[in-house]
Amino acid sequence: MIFRPLSTWQRRLFLAVAVTAVLLGVACRQKADPVSEFTVEREFTPLPVQVGPVRVTFTVRDRASKPVEDAHISVEADMSHAGMSPVFAEAKEIQPGRYQADLALGMAGDWVILLHGTLASGEKLERQFDMKGVQPRALN
Amino acid sequence: MNSSSIPPVESPEPPPFDLLRVPVVGPLFRWRYARPVLQVPLLIVSVIMILHGLFGPSLAPKNLATTLSWLHFRGVLVLVLLCAGNFFCLACPFMLVRQMARRVFTPRFNWPRALRNKWISVALFVLILFTYELFDLWSSPWWTAWLIIGYFLSVLVVDGFFKHASFCKFVCPIGQFNFVASTLSPLEVKVRDQVVCTSCVTKDCIRGRREASADRTSELVVIRGCELALFQPRKVGNMDCTFCLDCVHACPHDNIGILSRMPGTELLTDPLRSGIGYFSKRKDLAALAIVFTFGALLNAFGMVSPVYAVENWLGKMLHVSLEAPVLGLIFIFFLVVEPVLLLLVAGWLAITWGGVRRSLLSTVVRYTYGLVPLGFGMWLAHYGFHFLTGLYTIIPVTQSAVASLGHAFLGQPRWTLTGLSANVVQVVEIGFLLLGFAGSLAVTHGLAEEDSPAGSLRVFIPWATVCAVLWVASMWLIFQPMEMRATLMSG
Repeated sequence: MIFRPLSTWQRRLFLAVAVTAVLLGVACRQKADPVSEFTVEREFTPLPVQVGPVRVTFTVRDRASKPVEDAHISVEADMSHAGMSPVFAEAKEIQPGRYQADLALGMAGDWVILLHGTLASGEKLERQFDMKGVQPRALN
Repeated sequence: MNSSSIPPVESPEPPPFDLLRVPVVGPLFRWRYARPVLQVPLLIVSVIMILHGLFGPSLAPKNLATTLSWLHFRGVLVLVLLCAGNFFCLACPFMLVRQMARRVFTPRFNWPRALRNKWISVALFVLILFTYELFDLWSSPWWTAWLIIGYFLSVLVVDGFFKHASFCKFVCPIGQFNFVASTLSPLEVKVRDQVVCTSCVTKDCIRGRREASADRTSELVVIRGCELALFQPRKVGNMDCTFCLDCVHACPHDNIGILSRMPGTELLTDPLRSGIGYFSKRKDLAALAIVFTFGALLNAFGMVSPVYAVENWLGKMLHVSLEAPVLGLIFIFFLVVEPVLLLLVAGWLAITWGGVRRSLLSTVVRYTYGLVPLGFGMWLAHYGFHFLTGLYTIIPVTQSAVASLGHAFLGQPRWTLTGLSANVVQVVEIGFLLLGFAGSLAVTHGLAEEDSPAGSLRVFIPWATVCAVLWVASMWLIFQPMEMRATLMSG
């Protein structure tokens, strides 16, 4: 298929749109996580983390460092590569503001842990942190 | 009646299947606007991928750029190449943008004579494999989006300055991948009847269909001929053919079809090919076949646990903590040292033991094409694995993307939808690898018979051994535990 050539002003318009699009693309960056009212400290067991059962324990505190109690938090673990099965678990509150979830990781590599929570006040809590370098299951 | 008096009747060879003769599909492909109709949806998907990659979630499994690029596009691409032909190049969205841009920029230069080979595209192919591992492109929607943007810009720059399809023929790494893989495709754009071409005087398939300008002083090309310099009557096989169907539209005799053929037969013969020359004299094409084959194993090796042990060991040995030099050494070993050793030893044995009457380099170049089926088997196994195990992930990712725009008509994302079980897919992977192994054995055996009819076995055995080594390595790879890290070195 052969297109008819453009006129001069059409060419200028095309160039202007193309340059603007490139500049916008270069300028844009993914948005950073918003500053949150809450802090989340997490730990994994066992260490180093291996394929198989992994326990994720995390403590949620508010700005005054008070434990955030009675939250409903679900935990999701994703691989860094698309197409792999995510793993889900519901977290249980084991102490005030301290939650625990058991995950079964099926593959070695880098995982990303997502917390999806609803606090007692109805506020939403979303957090994402890395769990890098999960090792293959050790042979006994 | 004496049956011996009846002369045997030779049954004529049945005509090959011709896709352009199939109802509905044939007229669609013969339609002048078939290519843009196929390109526009892919262009829209590309733009969506770029936008989601730049502005959407940063997590690869939740982003359309990474999910579509690294799972679905690659998987569908290799399966279509296996089952049909190079239809991706036909529907290539980059070419639609190029075609629109050529309304603004009229290219004035011919591609430099010194660069009319595959060396640039081989280097770019290696560069893409290297950056894929070094920058973990699969885990970054942002970088994946920029890779797509970069591709569009490269097409515009190259084909903005240079005439014809310079980007496709001499630069595009995806195109070269498709050209090599399509040597094993069952369909080929081909002349239906050579006799018709003998009597043709206009040669529109290569020159393009022309009409006199309004003032009758010059000729205008109204339908393009082949932009990749493939003259249909002398075209052999799929190498360098983008299935653009320009020749089909230009031919005034309706003498070009998309015909069936035995996959891989073009690797067995070495005639003078239009736009290509002799395979046996093209060192650049042989290098492309080496990168295609050994790169398939290397790309899969980058996704399994042992690669991290090798990297850490190398890093400690060399007291290097940067990933790039260590990865560079692994690439040099797998894409240069290993192929050179294997191919030179096999070539030397074929000459000294099997009596092949060629130089060592010529023997190596000729038989390297025999490894292409093995390489394609590995690409199929690798990309097929990701595609099939993540087949349904496009559903929740699309649901999530639509929901993020404030529309809930696709429902809440069902993240538990993934794909086929890895155990089932592993059987399919083994099938692909066996198919590739059988194909490579058949091609190298055919080449050996042609080179040394009396001692073909002695020529075949060294090359069959190379095929066996690569096949065992491929089988070992697919049974390794997968491990996908964004940081390779733990030091």
